[in-house]
Amino acid sequence: MLTDPITRPSSAPARDAGTKPAQPILEVIDATHAYDGVVALDNVTVRAAPGEFLTILGESGSGKTTLLRLISGLEKPYRIGALRLGGVDVSEVPAFQRDCTTVFQNYALFPHLTVGENVEYGLKMRGVPVAERRTRARNALELVQLADKYDRRIHQLSGGQRQRVALARALVPQPAILLLDEPLGALDEKLRVDMQVELLEIQKRLGMTFIYITHSQEEALTMSDRIILMRKGKIDQEGPPTAIFDRPVSAFAARFMGVENCFEGELIELSGGQAQVQVGERRLRGRWSGRSIPKVGAKVAVGVRAERLHLGPVAPTAPDHNVLPCGAGGAIYKGKYLDRTVTTDIAPIKVRIWNASAVTDQPSRVWWHKDDCIVMDL
Amino acid sequence: MSTMTLAPAREDRAAARPQGRLGQSAGWKTMAKAFGAFALAMIYIPLIWLAVMSFAASPLSGIPYPLTLDNYRQLGGDARWVTPMQTSLWLSALVAFVCMVIATVVGRAITRLERPGGVILLTLLPLFVPGLTMGAALFIFLRSILELKLGIWSIFLGQLVWALPFCMLLVLVIASRFDLRLLEAAEDLGASPWRRFWDIEMPILRPGIFGAGIFGFLLSFNELPRSLFLRGIETTMPIYNWAMAASQQSQIPIIFSLTTLLVAVTLPVMGVFFWFLFVKLDKN
Repeated sequence: MLTDPITRPSSAPARDAGTKPAQPILEVIDATHAYDGVVALDNVTVRAAPGEFLTILGESGSGKTTLLRLISGLEKPYRIGALRLGGVDVSEVPAFQRDCTTVFQNYALFPHLTVGENVEYGLKMRGVPVAERRTRARNALELVQLADKYDRRIHQLSGGQRQRVALARALVPQPAILLLDEPLGALDEKLRVDMQVELLEIQKRLGMTFIYITHSQEEALTMSDRIILMRKGKIDQEGPPTAIFDRPVSAFAARFMGVENCFEGELIELSGGQAQVQVGERRLRGRWSGRSIPKVGAKVAVGVRAERLHLGPVAPTAPDHNVLPCGAGGAIYKGKYLDRTVTTDIAPIKVRIWNASAVTDQPSRVWWHKDDCIVMDL
Repeated sequence: MSTMTLAPAREDRAAARPQGRLGQSAGWKTMAKAFGAFALAMIYIPLIWLAVMSFAASPLSGIPYPLTLDNYRQLGGDARWVTPMQTSLWLSALVAFVCMVIATVVGRAITRLERPGGVILLTLLPLFVPGLTMGAALFIFLRSILELKLGIWSIFLGQLVWALPFCMLLVLVIASRFDLRLLEAAEDLGASPWRRFWDIEMPILRPGIFGAGIFGFLLSFNELPRSLFLRGIETTMPIYNWAMAASQQSQIPIIFSLTTLLVAVTLPVMGVFFWFLFVKLDKN
């Protein structure tokens, strides 16, 4: 029986305990920050539950790294309501006294120290005796599968190994929360996918709270308990992966979550969650997923995923479909599927075809079910 | 057909080579070797000659024979050089230490500036002020304007002004490559400001800091023109050597043996030091 190399921190109870929601381990209340007059973070509030895998998703410049640096204390916010770690306000506590550690995007490993010394550093700063910190560092290196690299120098490691050392170094002091700033960004595709799984396993095993930053929606969907989608220093949408994926509240969220086709239109009718939208000369129907109920006549966005679209010479006549006449456009071969663009009188539409042999040369209709059609805020 | 078009092209290339690629022709290589050998010879032959002559009965005659240890015996019996030597040793050690501290503190501050260019230029400009000019300027300023009594402290000041830009340069070269994000990582892991400096920044800057110390010492130990102006009534080793060599011919043999001893001790020590600093520490 293999015991946990790193004991579960007492502050992080098992997530499936079935008790009432615990006190948040992290609370960032009304944080505002600016660099040289440019607002990086605009009145943002974030909470995380103990043991949660929370992903902050956004483009570069959306304020996600700023948010992380405010939590770690490396950046002092311009204005903040409160910043609580484990219920204690730490907004005035310097970074080196906060109970959280960071896995940096560039790893920031100390080049003059060995792998072992790097991993031990956090414990050394906490006054842990030599023998104990050596044991704990070795255990942490075992956890990231680098047990035999203890005496190596950083420059002798590959990119993936450095990433693991950075992870071990941040894990070993057993912080209340672990902050990860695009930790897999510098790795190649295959390694990144492997590390996603590994990170997730480590997080579940330790029951530690992870705040994870990424610009990849795929990474966010794969790993998170909850996603916060940021845009221009504000939170655009937050919720579990399925909610954000299926019910994006805005055209921005939809595009970020990979909704290929988005049109702008005018709301004609909205009742029982079903919306009718005038887009150009066409009337489309779909389900409302925006933030609040808008007035009739408001500008809204209509979105549909490429894989939900159908092409053919004859469309189904049932009333629960949106049908548009279309003409043939270009096609891009992607291996597993074919991305085909068709022209309509609204806009060019991208259609994903999984069965390449079923391609019709001259489709005259494109259609999709109204449940696959999302109507949301612009 | 194709061979016909190729042949003249090759000839063209061959003809163009001596002009187009000067650095790679055989003549230039030979010339570079010759100059290099000449430069090395000019450095080492006088030194070796000095060492050989320190064993000659009459060094100024230019004939090494007969060999003798008389000069060294005379040196041992003469106490006049001991005090200047002691003065120079501790003065240079002090200059070296102060240079290390100032260069480190100021060097790291400069690399954190948003626009360090102007400050760096101002800091390094004293490198180009001639020694006699600087010495005279300091003399006039301290003695005539401030009416201070010159002594060791003013020699120290003059040598510090001389050595510091070199030391700054050494620290700046290393410090400008230092990744400040490492300090954030250390801070994030719980290191106080002092620990961040001591554990992370200092070890990485160490080659620059120690280099500053070595050069500070050497520059101070060999410094003459500024010291001459600022000495008051004090005597450092270079002043003593210079005075002896310039005025009292009878003392020349002692100078020969003394300088030989200095070189014999200094070169190996510096060699080991540099090896340790740049080879051993680098490997770790």
